Amino acid sequence: MPMYQPSTRREADMKLDSQVLDLETAVKDGILGGGCGVISTGFASQKLDLKIMIEELESIDVPTVFICPISLEPMQDPVTLCTGQTYERSNILKWFSLGRCTCPTTMQELWDDSVTPNKTLQQLIFSWFSHKYLAMKKRSEDVQGRVKEILENLKKVKGQARVQALKELRQVVQTHGTVKKTVVENGGVALISSLLGPFTTHAVGSEVIGVLVNLNLDSNSKSDLLQPAKISLMVDILNEGSIETKINCTKLIRVLMEGNDFASENVASLSLLVGLLRLVKDKKHQNGVLAGLSLLKVICSHESIRNSFVNVGAVPQLVELMPELNNECLELVLYLLELLSNIPEGRLALKDCPNTIPNVVKLLMKASESCMQFALSILWTICKFAPEECASLALDAGLAAKLLLVIQSGCNPVLKQRSAELLKLCSLNYTATIFISKCNLTRTIQ
Amino acid sequence: MGLLCSKNRHYTDADTEENAQAAEIERRIEQETKAEKHIQKLLLLGAGESGKSTIFKQIKLLFQTGFDEAELKSYVSVIDANIYQAIKILYDGSKEFAQSVDSSKYVLSGENKVIGEKLSDIGSRFDYPRLNRELAEEIGYLWKDPAIQETYARGNELQVPDCTHYFMENLQRLSDANYVPTKEDVLYARVRTTGVVEIQFSPVGENKKSGEVYRLFDVGGQRNERRKWIHLFEGVTAVIFCAAINEYDQTLFEDEQKNRMMETKELFDWVLKQPCFEKTSFMLFLNKFDIFETKVLTVPLNVCEWFKDYQPVSTGKQEIEHAYKYIKKKFEELYFQSTAPDRVDRVFKVYRTTALDQKVVKKTFKLVDETLRRRNLFEAGLL
Repeated sequence: MPMYQPSTRREADMKLDSQVLDLETAVKDGILGGGCGVISTGFASQKLDLKIMIEELESIDVPTVFICPISLEPMQDPVTLCTGQTYERSNILKWFSLGRCTCPTTMQELWDDSVTPNKTLQQLIFSWFSHKYLAMKKRSEDVQGRVKEILENLKKVKGQARVQALKELRQVVQTHGTVKKTVVENGGVALISSLLGPFTTHAVGSEVIGVLVNLNLDSNSKSDLLQPAKISLMVDILNEGSIETKINCTKLIRVLMEGNDFASENVASLSLLVGLLRLVKDKKHQNGVLAGLSLLKVICSHESIRNSFVNVGAVPQLVELMPELNNECLELVLYLLELLSNIPEGRLALKDCPNTIPNVVKLLMKASESCMQFALSILWTICKFAPEECASLALDAGLAAKLLLVIQSGCNPVLKQRSAELLKLCSLNYTATIFISKCNLTRTIQ
Repeated sequence: MGLLCSKNRHYTDADTEENAQAAEIERRIEQETKAEKHIQKLLLLGAGESGKSTIFKQIKLLFQTGFDEAELKSYVSVIDANIYQAIKILYDGSKEFAQSVDSSKYVLSGENKVIGEKLSDIGSRFDYPRLNRELAEEIGYLWKDPAIQETYARGNELQVPDCTHYFMENLQRLSDANYVPTKEDVLYARVRTTGVVEIQFSPVGENKKSGEVYRLFDVGGQRNERRKWIHLFEGVTAVIFCAAINEYDQTLFEDEQKNRMMETKELFDWVLKQPCFEKTSFMLFLNKFDIFETKVLTVPLNVCEWFKDYQPVSTGKQEIEHAYKYIKKKFEELYFQSTAPDRVDRVFKVYRTTALDQKVVKKTFKLVDETLRRRNLFEAGLL
């Protein structure tokens, strides 16, 4: 929405600033009169069309002179006060009904409370919107026509031509959201999905995935894409592609898996898990990290996968990641580690990884409450599993002080309780004095 | 004085000529070394009879000038040998089975027994006679004998070569006096590779000047051949490891106590751990899918120890796919188990192949080529 400033508006009134309303183009395009046949009859029909057009042209830059100063929305029924300022009728009447007798922008007391409909401005607004609306519709049709052409083309071409066509399709779908429906309605999904198979080249496959990830897929399309050969191809492409391709593959696989309980079994191969771990370790691309972790969360909801996940060395790799993550990613990592801590192999891996305890302890009190919940759960599990080793490591890492802070803080009671339990667990092996000395507490807390 | 002068000049002339030659040789060596660096080394590895040489032949057919008539004709004696060896194995096998339980199945008719003895004798010689009409007919009778067919059904317990069925069905054509083997015949022909064979080729794709030059090495797969492998392990761009997935119920040629699939498993593991292959890409060809397809519906996978936890889920095509997926998963697991963390970024891809099918091999190699090219770009920092 254009920022409204009273002084600028005054000037705009005088100068009809070219950035606001391009007079030259307005005359040429017939907005200011004559040619445009859309300036039709009937006040009522005008109003109806205008409302719809304004809605559909939501993101367009509307000239400031058309905007009501009160609502900052385009005016459909502009009225002018005696001060010469124009407002949307309903808005200014509401202003008056609040008992105010001033002009909202000039703050002048009104000497005349009549509101005059500004027919000229109304015609102008209607004209301008009609023009923009028609242009948009035409562009949209053009783009839709182009998409249909590309789809027809794809049925025939092979090799480099196919790659080019897919590239163009992807670009159009990414820039013009309206064509997504066209692609789906014209059998586009089935067509490009059929291009995925055991012998699909990377070039073709990555483009197809790039298109599919932007579309709304129905359940039939999803089932089709969940075929082993296609999933296998997606995993290969994920492992070999550019960061953009990797993210697209990750997102698409996630879409396919959501709401489908059986999918995990078929989809989560070791290659996929290894590929996702590689993706989340890539610090240079944070959106890749997030996409990868989100998919891992979906995959690990299946118990059988968790074992495999630990076997490919997930635990130490995730632990290493922790210090440099933003909150959203950190929560996902902790969620995963907590899940893994519930299986024997995972527990063992967490205990064996030297950085687990230091990294987890460090983030207590720094991260969100849900992060802390996972963190405490993880610490609890490993300390329970190997109390002698872990308790002392944890205390050395400053766990006790942190737990005491949590207990005294304003966190939710569940967290406080868990902290207390954990503190107790860690202290079990020590007498009170040794424990306190081990805690390195500051005087006040002591 | 004049003499001296002229003598000197003679020497300096010789010197310059030698220098020029030496310089030329130096230049040539430098050029070739540079060129060598751009040649990508591909190794075909795998146990015996996994399909390495067939792939090798296919690459020759696809990217080189193929086989000329002389080369094709050179395979006639190989094919003859294959036929004699195969029928001998079957005949000897039937005699062996006839001594066990259910023996009546394996007893041949009187006439065929005579033929069998004759062929078995031929098959044990070093020199085989050229296959003629008469011999082909006799072999045909023997092949069609129910006892031999029963023996063939238990072929996995013997060392029956995979090409047997194909050649037996074509005996008439193969025994023709003017027989020239077709490309397909050559692909089926089996010779145990010994030593190392290599070809150099440039894959020709859509954009003809793809620039890649590959040197492909084929080796013998039997145990005694494997000690020759190590000499080839330096500077390898990619290993194409062939594993015949139909062999889960068969034993080795060189050790009839050992299951072939178990051997392949151990071999793959050994290859993966080789120090020289730290950065080498691995293309696993799960080969002989055509034979696997028919076998897996009748012979359960769990006859092989490695596949003992396999559970069939359905029948027909679905079951075949399910079984294939299981095997692929097993190999994947093996790969990641045998791959140290510092090597996890190696390229590892699995392909389903039928080496005898030229179209499949062509498409598969296209993908291998694309992967290797992308890998090159990636390592050069251009991707």
